[in-house]
Amino acid sequence: MCRGRNAPAVFPEAHTISTPVVVTEHLTKDYGPFRAVHDVSFEVGAGEVLGLLGPNGSGKTTILRILTGYLQPSGGTARIAGFDVVEQSLEARRHIGYVPEDVPLYGNMTVDEFLAFMGRIKGLYGSPLREAIDSSIEKLSLQPMRRRAIRKLSRGYRQRVAIAQALLNKPELLILDEPSNGLDPRQIIELRELIRWLAESHTVLVTSHILGEIERVASRVAVLLQGRLLAVESLDQLGHPRLRLRVRASTAEPVQTIIESAPGVVRVVSAASGEDGTHRFVVEIAEGSAAENIAAALTMGGVGLLEMTETRVDLENLFLDLTGGAAA
Amino acid sequence: MRRVVTLFGKEAKALFTSPIAYVVVATFLLIMGYAFTARLFISQRASLIPDFFQAAVLLLLIVPVITMRLFAEERRSGTFELLLTSPVREIEVVLAKYLASLSVVVIMIALTLPYAVVLTTYGEPDMGPIYTGYLGLLLLGSALVALGLLISALTANQIVAATLALGLFLLMWMLDTLGAFLPAPFDYLILHLSLLAHFTPFASGAVYLADIGFFLTVVLFGLALSMRALVRR
Repeated sequence: MCRGRNAPAVFPEAHTISTPVVVTEHLTKDYGPFRAVHDVSFEVGAGEVLGLLGPNGSGKTTILRILTGYLQPSGGTARIAGFDVVEQSLEARRHIGYVPEDVPLYGNMTVDEFLAFMGRIKGLYGSPLREAIDSSIEKLSLQPMRRRAIRKLSRGYRQRVAIAQALLNKPELLILDEPSNGLDPRQIIELRELIRWLAESHTVLVTSHILGEIERVASRVAVLLQGRLLAVESLDQLGHPRLRLRVRASTAEPVQTIIESAPGVVRVVSAASGEDGTHRFVVEIAEGSAAENIAAALTMGGVGLLEMTETRVDLENLFLDLTGGAAA
Repeated sequence: MRRVVTLFGKEAKALFTSPIAYVVVATFLLIMGYAFTARLFISQRASLIPDFFQAAVLLLLIVPVITMRLFAEERRSGTFELLLTSPVREIEVVLAKYLASLSVVVIMIALTLPYAVVLTTYGEPDMGPIYTGYLGLLLLGSALVALGLLISALTANQIVAATLALGLFLLMWMLDTLGAFLPAPFDYLILHLSLLAHFTPFASGAVYLADIGFFLTVVLFGLALSMRALVRR
């Protein structure tokens, strides 16, 4: 799909946030009485790929629309490249290349006309505009489609045209809203490769409700549910195996202390109490023997261990853990 | 300013590459031409005064068709999001859409100029009312487009936008009819909101600054509120 690319297969190191390109603080959005986004704070560092993950209706698109200046937040602040998205909206938008969900384009224009139009409204004219169009066309392999009307293009090509317009003004931040929607499996693989390649020269914020998509392209993931940010996790730090425990005890707190004190336990990821006097824990462990240590510590503490399962650590499990298994 | 030109080009292309502009202009000219010819042969008078009133009423009916799609169409297709998340000012978007729609109205009015040429060639019309009549039509058209634009900015549905604009225009046109029955100061207020009351002097050869001010105020009101509708999302 793209030329001259050397896509990194994996993200080898744990990402540390350098200069943040995106900073949101206590972001809130109300639609009348309905609160679509609750007090969301996160940062995206320069060069990072952050995946916003959540089921449909979890507030992902609303957050992106606030960041791109399309919607005004009801509370909180957001900054792009240091510019407030409300007070300095125009400056903030200059640093963003945005591909909205469902890739809305002007169907009556040809690809060339559309890119020229988008380039001009992004402030490019004359030879810089022509160079930007040629460069975007080449990066997205759109040469054969240049003079074709956009309404006659397939979904895959429309997606490429939308990404091509986002790249025109060499933005610091690329925002892709559900980019894999409507693509066939081959196009999805090409898109992943493209996002990895774009990430070499841009900071990328990408959303999806498909766990596997985020896992394959993002270095960190922010998990959203019903407008609330449940967690921001580095995928590289998710290398630790996890145990799911079900125990019987009168209260959960002493059990959590026992688990945490067992050798080999990194942290208790989540704890939930059931109505039948049982408690569920998800525990991140550093080594295999931690399972035996936890079992021994619980037995010594007089806690009934009902179930213990080692789980494969992937986003699916992370999402289930964070949402209490209700949302995925 | 360059962005306004770019956006204007996009809007004008959308209007003139679709049948909308041609159908609207052709319908307007057909009705105007028929009435002008019939009236000329029957009355044998070299005057455009009745034609200006007829053109004004046709504008009330036709402008909603031109303005209904301005924002509604972009909202429906989602391109509104693409446009407003680009580094453009809301005022630039509003101005471009306004000027593109106004250009259709101006072309429509300009294409009736041959009637004046016919009158001056074969008769001796009083030129004063012809000049002021065209000025009045342009001002009325500018005000109607601004109000139509505002209504389009407030709704995502084209039919709703057209119906509301048509209702508002017809109401504002005949507002002065019942105005005289109201107690002061409402009679005064209502009379001064009437499009007909402000247009009549132009059509009959008189130009008052108050009438020019009224139409320009409506234009500014429409544009400012359209911009506000875009900013407050």
